[in-house]
Amino acid sequence: MSTNLSGKYAIVGVGQSPLGKVPEMGPIGLFAVAAKNAIEDAGLRKEDVDGLITRGPDDVYCHHQKVGEALGLNVTYSTSTANGGASQTMAVAMACMAIEAGVCDTVVVGYGRDTWSRTHRNAEAKQAVASRPRTYSEFGSEFGQFGAPVNYAVAARRHMERFGTTKAQLGAIAVAFRNHARKNPHAFMQKPLTLDEYLSARLIVDPLCLYDCSVFIDGAGAVVVTSAERARDLRQPPAYVLGFGFGNRLSGWYAGDNMITTGAKEAGEAAYKMAGIGPKDVDTAQIYDCFTHMVLLQLEDYGFCAKGEGGPFVGSGALEADGVLPTNTSGGQLSEGHIEGMLQVLEGARQVRREHTPERQVKDCDIALVSGHGGNTVCQSALILGREAG
Amino acid sequence: MSEYNKPLPPPSVESEPFWDGCKRHELLVPRCDRCGYHWFPPAATCPKCWSTDWTWTRVSGKGRVYSFGVYHRAYHKGFAEELPYALVVVELDEGPRLTTNVVGCDPGELSCDMPVEVVFDDVTEDRTLYKFKPANDG
Repeated sequence: MSTNLSGKYAIVGVGQSPLGKVPEMGPIGLFAVAAKNAIEDAGLRKEDVDGLITRGPDDVYCHHQKVGEALGLNVTYSTSTANGGASQTMAVAMACMAIEAGVCDTVVVGYGRDTWSRTHRNAEAKQAVASRPRTYSEFGSEFGQFGAPVNYAVAARRHMERFGTTKAQLGAIAVAFRNHARKNPHAFMQKPLTLDEYLSARLIVDPLCLYDCSVFIDGAGAVVVTSAERARDLRQPPAYVLGFGFGNRLSGWYAGDNMITTGAKEAGEAAYKMAGIGPKDVDTAQIYDCFTHMVLLQLEDYGFCAKGEGGPFVGSGALEADGVLPTNTSGGQLSEGHIEGMLQVLEGARQVRREHTPERQVKDCDIALVSGHGGNTVCQSALILGREAG
Repeated sequence: MSEYNKPLPPPSVESEPFWDGCKRHELLVPRCDRCGYHWFPPAATCPKCWSTDWTWTRVSGKGRVYSFGVYHRAYHKGFAEELPYALVVVELDEGPRLTTNVVGCDPGELSCDMPVEVVFDDVTEDRTLYKFKPANDG
């Protein structure tokens, strides 16, 4: 017998650090500022926090311990996660499960990294990136396989040849998110982007160009998760956790049809089932967008359109503010900045709290779907947030 | 002849027989003695049935392009003069997929599902890489 957790827990506070170029702060400092802001937003105190689930630079051992030290926290439940960009949405679900299990009551979840400053902070940082030892991987580096874009370029090419998806359709994703970013004063990319500019941008790994790739910034985001019961007495309207789900196609991106249909299918089906809703009930989606094509794949896998029809769907303007599914309404990682999906958890909560100015607020927003994706491309987590508990 | 300047990660304990095969111009992949499944990269158990009984088996070297991405930016100086070059995923007729390069074909001439066959490139005295070329017979 399974217990349905739908609506039993909620995000009650959201906070972020300064975003963009923040050379005066390191990754732990950024996280601490975001956590402080999230706790204050909830109207809670440091003493109320008894759980901490974090992620940051992958080279920080026991990351949560560094964060806890910076915040002077003693808690009962804490851990760092290692599921790539799927970690952050997963960590919100882990917080709900930990509270359900009775090991803690109020959990801070977040991510922070000084991604821009790591390579630009000062002359030393620039030198370090130029001379850093590269790690090579067998069966790839010999043939010139480097960096993340190629994995998505290969997936996009296969999708294009199989379903007729076009570059202009991928461009519609980049343009829509830029339009959203221009209404968000904290977004890194504020310059207008037209489809013509997108189509003439320099290629990185064809078919992907510069604007198909997310922008690396410094920053952190955090949320506070507690019980729905407790949430009702707190400062902000709760963003109820109506559903979550996971899908991890660990057999590999290059195995089977995993780069055509992703673990988002399993993650979405589980999250919808738990929430008792379907894709048609979702008012806004915050989709993990390391690259444009990954958005297209997930929109299909989460059932917003049929497999293979992602191109025409995004090409119709669906993701714009006046579209059928306003998506990545803070600009996403392509334009607001890449904080490993954490800022999209915040944006999902803010949309169901309906706290934005009218030009940014999705009208009558009751339900937001937030996705996480990463871990060498095969891991997916989904989160469904609601204005009402059910 | 100038020095070979592209990365050559050292073989692991599990991949050494594969690279030794390349040196002999033979393409070997693990094949399960129990269920007949072929897989790649090498691993100590059959990913399908978890049998630990398997044999390095020479395969046909024929396959098809599953997909590809064309680099326009050099992430490594050894590849700077190759730009634009394609990183290609080839699906062998026996099933496994390998990341590789296709020689004798401009990136613009590649397409998904085009038939290819293995060729071997003796890049140094010690190392031979498996690459593919367009197959004549289709």
